[in-house]
Amino acid sequence: MVSISRRQFLKLGAAGLGASSIAVLGFSPAAALAEAREFKLTRTTETRNTCPYCSVSCGLILYGLGDKAKNAPSSIIHIEGDPDHPVSRGTLCPKGAGLLDFVHSADRLRYPEYRAPGASEWKRISWDEAFDRIARLMKDDRDKNFIGQNAEGVPVNRWLSTGFLAASASSNESGYLTHKVVRSLGILAFDNQARV
Amino acid sequence: MTADLIEPGTIEPPAGELPMLRLPERSLFDQRAQRLSALSEGHALGEYLRFLATIARAQHEALPLVRNVPMPDAEVLRRCREHGLPPLGIQGWSRAPAWRAVLRQLVAEVVTSAFPEMARAAAERLGRAEDQTLEGLAAGLLSGDFGRIDRASAPFVAAALQVYWLHMATSLSPGVVAPPEAPHLCPVCGSEPVASVVRIGGADQGLRYLSCSLCGSQWHEVRIKCAYCQTTKGISYYGIEGSSGAVKAENCDACGNYLKIFYMEKDPAVEAVADDVASVALDVLMAERGIARSGVNFFLLGGSA
Repeated sequence: MVSISRRQFLKLGAAGLGASSIAVLGFSPAAALAEAREFKLTRTTETRNTCPYCSVSCGLILYGLGDKAKNAPSSIIHIEGDPDHPVSRGTLCPKGAGLLDFVHSADRLRYPEYRAPGASEWKRISWDEAFDRIARLMKDDRDKNFIGQNAEGVPVNRWLSTGFLAASASSNESGYLTHKVVRSLGILAFDNQARV
Repeated sequence: MTADLIEPGTIEPPAGELPMLRLPERSLFDQRAQRLSALSEGHALGEYLRFLATIARAQHEALPLVRNVPMPDAEVLRRCREHGLPPLGIQGWSRAPAWRAVLRQLVAEVVTSAFPEMARAAAERLGRAEDQTLEGLAAGLLSGDFGRIDRASAPFVAAALQVYWLHMATSLSPGVVAPPEAPHLCPVCGSEPVASVVRIGGADQGLRYLSCSLCGSQWHEVRIKCAYCQTTKGISYYGIEGSSGAVKAENCDACGNYLKIFYMEKDPAVEAVADDVASVALDVLMAERGIARSGVNFFLLGGSA
């Protein structure tokens, strides 16, 4: 926060306009004030984000509508490239340019689902169930297929029967964490944003 | 119908470096006068906008009065560059007498006009004022102590100072100006911005530039960021329902102020100073919400903290 020194922040309401240069010079602000009373304020937001599609990670600006202060439901109304982004400079590929439909898609995945082998229906499950199942299957597979040493007896500690594909729109920190978790398990087939 | 084939190199690739600074053009006041005239049609503040158009036209005509004024030498420019200081900084600048000649020409224009008696009287008073009085008014205005400034003389004094500083700014080459140490102040003269403009076309498509309230320079600032306190959290945009969306109030929850932002995509003719006055209804609505403005417009000084 910079120092304010002698600088005042002005409010140009009815009283403020009445004491302004406009009024002091003999121009009436009355019509402008009357007009303003007819108007209503709308509140929108612009939010920076990263395109989730590929590892180029183009910058996005998401335009939202809705007044949080008034408890109105907010909704994303427009998405475009972020002109300030050092990599993409406001440009987007056709997939990225269509992100608004991706956000509002009726088919968008909103919770974990499970389709049992042979079943035709997806079944909604809880996050706990999903995590437990993933962990169980990974543990079983790793116990069965982990290679501690190669034929010459050299320690290699690798796990080749499972691969891991992580998100592209990830921060440095989540890239670091994914790397640590996945590599320490011995997985070699692995790709995520940290590669880029 | 023939389609234009795009030749290699026709599409301008995004520059590696964002253009940091846009120095003003000498036609700025002429453009502002035209914009003010256009905005005054059927506007609730129509007469005031026509008055400001007269001032802007007079500013354009007075520009040749500022000639051969002292400019910072190579050594000063080098040091300013090194430390990120504005080479034409308003603090401590020794003003050349030329700005007072500009002021006298501006007020003469208003004295003989058909504008309200109070405006003509204020102009006449300034026309008769001693040099020392005028220098005092200029110093008060440039110090930013708007609570104590005489609001009847401020628009005239500011208009004359704008002419003087615009002349000096247009005499600089962009390369001599460094990115500012204080990013919310003009890198050329150290004044506060009047508003910001999101541009269209070319290398600055979609980029936001803060517009200097005094010298007319424009400098780049990342969007969705409070230009005053530099925070990027809690920024929202207030506009008038049913409007074109060309003007919004960029509001910062952190410092509790807003700065207007104009979108050329919605209206390519926007001019920061002119459109700021013409969109005063937005200021009124923001004031009703208890939010103060950080933007400085010498033609819209008023109100209370």
